[in-house]
Amino acid sequence: MIGFRLAAQRSPEPRRVADAVVMRFDHVYEVDPALMTEHVRQQEMPAWDTQRIVAGRWDYLAWMHDHWADSVVSGAELEAETDL
Amino acid sequence: MSAIAVSDEILDELRGILGEERVLAGRSARFNRARVPAPFPVHRWQDHVPDVVCLPRRTEEVAAIVKLANRFRVPVVPRAGATGLSDGAVPLRHGILVDVKLMNEIREIDLEDRTVTVQPGVNMLKLNEELRKHGVMYPDDPASYPCSLVGGRIGTSGWSLIGGRYGHTRDLVISFELVLPSGEIIEVGDGGGRKIRKSSTGYQLKHLFMGHQGTLGIVTEATLELVPRPEAEFSAFFAYPDYETAWRSTGALARSGLATLAGVVLFDEWKLAYLRRDDEAYIPQPAGVRAVVATAMYGTTDEVRPAAKRLLRIGRETGGDYLGDEISQGDWASRHDRYATPLHGRLPGGQVAPMSWHCEDAAINWSQLPAVREQWHAIVADLIARHPIFDDWGMFAYTSGAHKPWGDYLTEIDVGIWEQEIDEESWQAWVETKRAIAEVAIRHGGSISACHGACREGEVDLVPLELRGQFDVMKKIKRTLDPNNVMNPGKYLLDEAYEEEEA
Repeated sequence: MIGFRLAAQRSPEPRRVADAVVMRFDHVYEVDPALMTEHVRQQEMPAWDTQRIVAGRWDYLAWMHDHWADSVVSGAELEAETDL
Repeated sequence: MSAIAVSDEILDELRGILGEERVLAGRSARFNRARVPAPFPVHRWQDHVPDVVCLPRRTEEVAAIVKLANRFRVPVVPRAGATGLSDGAVPLRHGILVDVKLMNEIREIDLEDRTVTVQPGVNMLKLNEELRKHGVMYPDDPASYPCSLVGGRIGTSGWSLIGGRYGHTRDLVISFELVLPSGEIIEVGDGGGRKIRKSSTGYQLKHLFMGHQGTLGIVTEATLELVPRPEAEFSAFFAYPDYETAWRSTGALARSGLATLAGVVLFDEWKLAYLRRDDEAYIPQPAGVRAVVATAMYGTTDEVRPAAKRLLRIGRETGGDYLGDEISQGDWASRHDRYATPLHGRLPGGQVAPMSWHCEDAAINWSQLPAVREQWHAIVADLIARHPIFDDWGMFAYTSGAHKPWGDYLTEIDVGIWEQEIDEESWQAWVETKRAIAEVAIRHGGSISACHGACREGEVDLVPLELRGQFDVMKKIKRTLDPNNVMNPGKYLLDEAYEEEEA
């Protein structure tokens, strides 16, 4: 049984990355909480739930690629193959 | 024809046709079928609630409902996925709503003549999951791909994200069965049997019975094109320092002549500013990125790889910087499903407000895109200055020609709308804005709509101006095929056909 882990519940403090955007986990962006005080309140989410949503998003995009074609051609690989 | 409440006698007859369980007269069933994602006068919701909802399974049931509607002079409104952006499935005069979602059978997969025959309630994503087992695909790909249905795609003559490669709905639907406004059942196609793609016999009626927004009948079965499932997908997003360079690059990419090219999309500075607020792909972009062009390709690996190399070279030679695999692949994959995106907008002070997404579209030639863009943004800025419940979410221009994606573009301005705050004054301001946007499109030689349809309040007023003599022909056709004006009445100003007759 996995017991209660505080780190899995509590997200790190946000870092500002742009005028209206903050970041708690790398590449996971949030609207600046100061802009969500009047009409839409920001929800507090446990860290594990944020990670679950992000992972689900990547799964979904991978599913969509697979749905449309057998393979995805990499532009970076093509650039490396040839002097474009 | 004036609105007539559906009587107990009509309800009893409908139950006789469909049975008790497939005739829904409760509030939730009716109120949930009043609107579509297009902006809606939420303060007048009850104006658009149908009197009764019918859920047929068979063509004969649809025909019986339409015949009953003629007998009692009651409006009939067809509804499929209800994902349209042009109000086609919104009842303007209440009446009987025919929801085709239970007509969801795949009837035949013909791998020899490469067709699939389905009922109108089939969804393309679910259809393609079945077709994948056979190595084929039905490549109709709207932004509502996971939730729109074949019947609605025919009723609106839909536009596909990958239409440059495979064609749009009208190119992919070979033939269909239709219940006319009289209740008569006919087969509509190019001619010959239902699997013939090209015929020269008689009038070409297939296009007439597509895109009519439910005013000329209800599709009950369709035979669709099958293409080989793609071996390879390639997408490349390019960044530019200014709109002018991105626009010229878009033209060069679209004119490349590469047969696997499915689409080229130009995002302007306003769109970049919007994405930079909220989109994970664009937040980290440096300030020097002012416009983006997206491209996508599908085909065999032997076709796509060399074509992709050339596409990358053209993008670079015309001023673009490749944005990398993560953004290119991730952002492209997300574009097959834009309806799942939770949305919010910003008020002028920056505060977040719940907003729904709306897009005004037009068909615009490449040469006219810069001029149209400036005027459209000015129109929306004026609206926001007077009513800050709206938010400019930027513009994109998307190659639109089937198989020849270089001449004209599906051009959209996206506007966030805080619908809960709409009142009659702001709604009328919005309608006037739509009219002004459509007027610019026509003045620049374009069309009010490349994708959504043009029957919404505001822009519909300009349809006679755009179509000129063709609109008179439309009215004559409507009056001939629907003498009692029961089929989706009030749409496309077609009531004029009956007023002229009375005069």
